[in-house]
Amino acid sequence: MADTSQNAQRTPDSFEVRILRQGGPGQNSYWERHRVKHEQDMNVISVLQNIAANAQTVDGKAVAPVAWDCNCLEEVCGACTMVVNGRTRQACTALVDRLLEDNPKEIELQPMTKFPVLRDLMVDRSRLFRSLQKVKAWVPVDGYYDMGVGPKQTREQQEVAYPLSECMSCGCCLEACPQYTKVELTQRDDESDADFQERKNAAYDSAFIGAAAISQAVLFNAHPTGKNIAGERLDALMDEGGIQVCGNAQNCVAVCPKEIPLTTSIAKVGRQTTLHAIKKWFDR
Amino acid sequence: MDTNPSFLARHEFLIRRLHSLSGLIPVGAYMCIHLLTNASTLDSSATFQRAVYQIHSLGSILPLVEWVFIFIPILFHGIIGVVIIRGGLPNYGSYKYTSNLRYTLQRATGMIAFVFIMWHVFQMHGWFHFDVWLKGVAEPLGGAQFAPYNAASSLGAAMRGVAVPMLYVIGVLSCVFHLANGIWTMGITWGVWVSPAAQKRADRICAAFGIALAVVGLSGIGGAVRIGNSDTVYEEAVEVEEKMWNAKTASGEIDAQKALHKRSHTTDGHASAE
Repeated sequence: MADTSQNAQRTPDSFEVRILRQGGPGQNSYWERHRVKHEQDMNVISVLQNIAANAQTVDGKAVAPVAWDCNCLEEVCGACTMVVNGRTRQACTALVDRLLEDNPKEIELQPMTKFPVLRDLMVDRSRLFRSLQKVKAWVPVDGYYDMGVGPKQTREQQEVAYPLSECMSCGCCLEACPQYTKVELTQRDDESDADFQERKNAAYDSAFIGAAAISQAVLFNAHPTGKNIAGERLDALMDEGGIQVCGNAQNCVAVCPKEIPLTTSIAKVGRQTTLHAIKKWFDR
Repeated sequence: MDTNPSFLARHEFLIRRLHSLSGLIPVGAYMCIHLLTNASTLDSSATFQRAVYQIHSLGSILPLVEWVFIFIPILFHGIIGVVIIRGGLPNYGSYKYTSNLRYTLQRATGMIAFVFIMWHVFQMHGWFHFDVWLKGVAEPLGGAQFAPYNAASSLGAAMRGVAVPMLYVIGVLSCVFHLANGIWTMGITWGVWVSPAAQKRADRICAAFGIALAVVGLSGIGGAVRIGNSDTVYEEAVEVEEKMWNAKTASGEIDAQKALHKRSHTTDGHASAE
């Protein structure tokens, strides 16, 4: 009983949500305030559902509902990643009561700042998927005949690999990285979709690849079959925008929701590329 | 669309690794020797003068050594450093982690160190040592104040007042932080310390190294200020320099005529006495 009365004193009936909105790519962004009625056990997703249902600002102006992405609602898909109270995280595990403990007056929501905004809180993270292509983050088994069973992995190998395999490509590590800067291109009037895609790929490839793809390269370079193309992955990581751009701010590992040892992966790639460079230098 | 990436882009990996290496060898290693030599002013003006004579025993190849092993590596490290800084967006305001603060400080101290070193080399050394430059530009602008064969006294004279020593304290501490923290990040860059535990151990060693080097650096500044601010110490320095100069020229170890430009010619009449 004592607990409930304390809670009743603490929790407000409603709270304000400040959202950075944007109608579409290339348009101006603007802040908008919404008032949301407090319910038990809310997370930022239920706040956004509430805002969509009311579609009304604090001044009573009717507006289009705020757009956002979400999917699994249990912090394993990464779709709802956004900047909540200045920090990158998943909206589904951002609990309202916790956020109000930090700032009882309001909650601030922004789209991720390192990716092009599609609409409101939805961003285009295709650069992240391009980076996985660049490092060939897969086990190369495609071919015309059955390659049979792969080599066995020891328990120690599995214990190293499993945490790395938990990456959900949410992009938190990239959002918090001071070396990872936004790349946003707009399609020209006379440009075909294929040409635009090619231009985007070239721009993404020359910009910093980021911790997520570096760590996936470590995962697949440690895999008994995946390591067949370890050299190709290291070559990709020594290209423009590769491992050398890392500035060791180590924000990536601090914000990773899956607690992946990203800075360990970065140092491992540092060592692998050092040895790879020496090997290439003397073998050619 | 630009299909030809720039030279910097094509060789980004090699250039960044050379930038990383040059920070330790030769720039960082040189700085340690430099600060240790300067700290010898605390022992005595004679000790410091002896060290300077030893450096200048390289003779006419000294400028070559200076440019190849000191000036060009510093310029390379500094210019590439500016390019690197321009490529990042520090965000300590949003993500208040210690390592993020160090990322920001590494960039701030790097910029301070670059400006400080440019000024310091101009003030003491003059940048270039041909006569037209020295007489026409460096000396009129207050540069080239250090006279190697009046090492302690000319150093002391250059370090008089409050502003100059304060600039030196800021500059030297920036350089020391930049080196100590830079060794730590270098170990990650090259893959020497990989696990968080190893990085933490390396961090403690780098911190201890940084504190020790800061003490050495501040000692050198203290020693120089002591010479400049005390008439007796200054007079003693001039006297011992005079004795060493006379002995070295008398024995023929130094050609007085050729080496005269390494003597003070600005003040007191002591130095110009043959």
